Amino acid sequence: MSMNRRDFLKAAAVGGGAILASQAVSAGASMPRELPPEAVGILYDATLCIGCKSCMVNCKIQNSVPGGALYLPDRKGLPYDFSSPDNIWDDARDLSSKTVNIIKVCKNGTGEHKDETENGFSLVKQHCMHCISPACVSVCPVSALRKDPKNGVVYYVEDRCIGCRYCMLACPFRIPRYEYESASPRVRKCQLCRHRYDEGKYSACCEYCPTGASIFGKVTDLRKEAAKRLTLKPGEEYSFPVQTVGSKEKSRRLVSKYINHLYGMKEAGGTQYLLLAGVPFEMLGFDKNISEQVLPDLTWAYISKIPAVIATVLIGGAATWAVTRGRNKDKEE
Amino acid sequence: MKKVEHSMEEETICGFSRRDFLKFCSTMAVGMGLPLGTGAKIAEAVTTQKRPPVLWLSAQECTGCTETLLRTNHPTLDKLILELISLEYHETLLVGAGKQAEQWREKSMKEYKGKYILVVDGSIPVKDNGIYCKIAGKTALSLLGEMAQDAAAVIAIGSCASWGGIPSADPNPTGASPAHEVLKSKGIKTPVVNIPGCPPNPYNFLSTVLYFLTFKKLPELDDQARPKFAYGRIIHENCERRPHFDAGRFAIQFGDDGHRKGYCLYKLGCKGPETFNNCPIQLFNDVGSGAWPVGTGHPCFGCSEKGVGFTLPLHSPARPKYITPPSLFTEVFPHKEGVSSGTKALAAGVSGAAIGAAAAALVSGLGKKDGDSGNKEE
Amino acid sequence: MKQHDIKMMTPTTIGLIVVMAAGAFVAVYRLFRGLGAATNLNNLWPWGFWIGMDVLGGVAMAAGGFVIAGAVYILNWKKYKPIVRPAILNAFFGYVLAATAIFFDLGQSFRIWHPVVMWQVNSIMFIVAIHVVLYTTTLGAESSPMLFERLRMMGAYRFMNAIMVPIVLFGVLLSTLHQSSLGAVYLIIPSKLSPLWYSSKLPYLFLVSAVFMGLSMVSFETILSSRLFNHPLPVDILRGLARGSLIVAGFYFILKVWDLVAGPGIGAAFAGSFTSNMYLLEMVIGVMLPLVLLAMPKYRTGINSIFSVNLLVIVGVLINRMNVGIFGLAEYASRFGVDYFPSLMELILTAAFIAFAFFGFKVSAKYLNLFPETEH
Repeated sequence: MSMNRRDFLKAAAVGGGAILASQAVSAGASMPRELPPEAVGILYDATLCIGCKSCMVNCKIQNSVPGGALYLPDRKGLPYDFSSPDNIWDDARDLSSKTVNIIKVCKNGTGEHKDETENGFSLVKQHCMHCISPACVSVCPVSALRKDPKNGVVYYVEDRCIGCRYCMLACPFRIPRYEYESASPRVRKCQLCRHRYDEGKYSACCEYCPTGASIFGKVTDLRKEAAKRLTLKPGEEYSFPVQTVGSKEKSRRLVSKYINHLYGMKEAGGTQYLLLAGVPFEMLGFDKNISEQVLPDLTWAYISKIPAVIATVLIGGAATWAVTRGRNKDKEE
Repeated sequence: MKKVEHSMEEETICGFSRRDFLKFCSTMAVGMGLPLGTGAKIAEAVTTQKRPPVLWLSAQECTGCTETLLRTNHPTLDKLILELISLEYHETLLVGAGKQAEQWREKSMKEYKGKYILVVDGSIPVKDNGIYCKIAGKTALSLLGEMAQDAAAVIAIGSCASWGGIPSADPNPTGASPAHEVLKSKGIKTPVVNIPGCPPNPYNFLSTVLYFLTFKKLPELDDQARPKFAYGRIIHENCERRPHFDAGRFAIQFGDDGHRKGYCLYKLGCKGPETFNNCPIQLFNDVGSGAWPVGTGHPCFGCSEKGVGFTLPLHSPARPKYITPPSLFTEVFPHKEGVSSGTKALAAGVSGAAIGAAAAALVSGLGKKDGDSGNKEE
Repeated sequence: MKQHDIKMMTPTTIGLIVVMAAGAFVAVYRLFRGLGAATNLNNLWPWGFWIGMDVLGGVAMAAGGFVIAGAVYILNWKKYKPIVRPAILNAFFGYVLAATAIFFDLGQSFRIWHPVVMWQVNSIMFIVAIHVVLYTTTLGAESSPMLFERLRMMGAYRFMNAIMVPIVLFGVLLSTLHQSSLGAVYLIIPSKLSPLWYSSKLPYLFLVSAVFMGLSMVSFETILSSRLFNHPLPVDILRGLARGSLIVAGFYFILKVWDLVAGPGIGAAFAGSFTSNMYLLEMVIGVMLPLVLLAMPKYRTGINSIFSVNLLVIVGVLINRMNVGIFGLAEYASRFGVDYFPSLMELILTAAFIAFAFFGFKVSAKYLNLFPETEH
């Protein structure tokens, strides 16, 4: 038996009675499946990325201010990630509680040619995908992770988080990271620089990207731009927008060969971070087991059966008790 | 003197050809990060105004700062002191000596009251009333107060005058203090500019003087009163060896393979990552590229930075001020196949315990017949 | 009363207390210094030994409580009445310990109450949290008559006994949901968990294996406590439990094999890889051996062999829980170069939980009327 969320909540409300605060219901009721109307996102084109790490540097700077994804009130300076013994580089080896955006490389064979599979390499920018139907939001027991109903940004409400780290387990892209080093830890992840929108700014990684490898914009526009790029022929010239999808600043250059796939169009039900690359996405660390399955549906299949289980167990149990009581008494005597 | 001044108006300016002179002024302007047109403004200021009077007070110093000034090529020293500025008093360069010199100093101070630039090199000893450094029977401490009082601005040249330098190194027996601290304790409000370095780049000094002359104000200063055009960024940020640092290519010992190849000197104790100066851009001695300590293969020792030069061990690693990612990348898949060892070990432990328990249970439980163990049945 | 003759200060008890003291130290250390200092958990291993062993394993071990309570109060199989109290007490300990383990595993331990007020019905973790709270309370209520009896509060005792059937029914409901929802926790990670364990039927598998484990656990501890505390063995009850185990084992075996065939295929179990070996270990020790032994009347009726089978089942289901919670994720995490081996502190705290369970049971056996029906 399955039921939609409204029915479930009704049933739960009947069962749970007054405990079920109406506010809590509205918080839990909506797991979106469609792209929010004003959804914003990022299009990353690995063929344009030169690996300057400007996005990493500026992500850290812009997110260490109040409201930012890496802000910590009593921290002086930036949250550096040291992994070499001398502490001379901010050398994050992976996403961490101090790094929510990272450029990685994947090499194949001799790794000589950029954006080629055979003996090639490709760069890739890893951060939150801002899923349309995020697993992390669906699994959070206290709604500490939320999806903005308007712009679709998946963000974190620190004060609610209990630190169960289910979001980290659930995320198919390995995005949420935890401040294990702290006695009062938080989850850290990219929040698409949502604290900068009010100032009329947008994601720092896009603002500071010199080549237009990362561009910010409405997801619908980004999808159009990506679709256009996939129709281009390698070697022809194209004016790639820089910073934002509608930017007047263009970078005119030759088109590289793309893998004919826009990652994030359908994966895990679709994401607001979209990627284009010259090598297969499996090589770039995107698990090939990630299907088009909308992940929250998998658990909903279980949850939606709960009211039925409650009814069955209570009624069946009571009936069994009523029936067996008499029979057993007879037997005992 | 008058003759010279006259002739330069006709054919040459300050002994330069007009073309060279404008070039020099523009170079100065660019060095300070000023707009290009400023060069002409400087040229105008230098030519139309009376040469700025400069008094130079040396306290506890090694004359290195004077030596560095002697090594300027555009202009050369003679042109500088005879034509660009009016050097009224300088213990090393004065022609006169003794009473004559002191009289000239006092005369100049009176004549140019409130207009002259006072350059201080060397630190000022303040312990025991400053008796450790005397000039013509007067302590440097009292001389500085006297001379700074009537100066338009004080330029502290060199690390000693800027923050104490070598004389102030532990245990600092003379109580060597920088000029600005002495002035502060005396309540003298004359603005101070610090040009630290051991020695400092002469062009940083010259640029500051010319800026003051042209705009009648001091250039923008940082929190340690250093001109930002010269000390706004750390050496590391403009260092020619920076790519080696980012790529993790280091010289480990003097003369090793990495050192020969010109790799980064961080591991030899280069203090570039915590020293504010423009050495990699200005270079020294006008002999072309590589003419600065790191260029010659020696780590920067942070001579201009308080708390670094003459304070930290020469070859101790620097504490980088601004930390950025290296140019190295993490691989997407560090390990491609199999299960890592720790998890395997855990599994082995769990399996071992499980198999052991199961075997023991089977052996002890199935082997025996009931009753053997003395179980009482109900 | 015989039970009251139990000696408290034995070397075993002292050993238990030492382990518990070490555990207390770890607990305090972890609260003040954080998870990173106390555990080897990391970003690709957000859940480790405490979740895999203490929470998943502990809750499964507690399943005996609802199985026996249901049998006695709902199905009215009064034969099992003598073991209902220890079974419920055991479950109560299991849940208290699981809740404690969760408390220490949470990054923000003192916000453990948040789910109770901040509902999020899409989350299995919320469902789990609510169930832990409600069921621990229910188990407390189910165990309370023992305490009231001891304290001679006869009014409360009679009241609790009068409403026991609805309480037990509620407990059965909560347990059914809770055991299955622990399996459902893993439904969201089809791309991470090895297909040998990932299945849309995980909730059912967890529920059935918990019942399997619960029966064995009750039988195990009945034999153990009668040996330790020296009171007669209820042989008839134990044989009944063994019969029940056989049925559940058969059902569980069919479910597992069906799941394997429908999922990655039989071949995946014999691939010789790390995960397939762990799968085989779990199946052989926890399912096949018990099934074969229980199918033979000789072993199904002998107390010693029942004890052995119980041990196999307990170990087997524990391995299953750790397979789902830890080893099934190992290939995934290893692919990204991240390793996990529990820290000494993780192991010590787990040991302390187990010690506490034994100690608590012993104290209860001494001071509460745990085995009312076996008294003579």
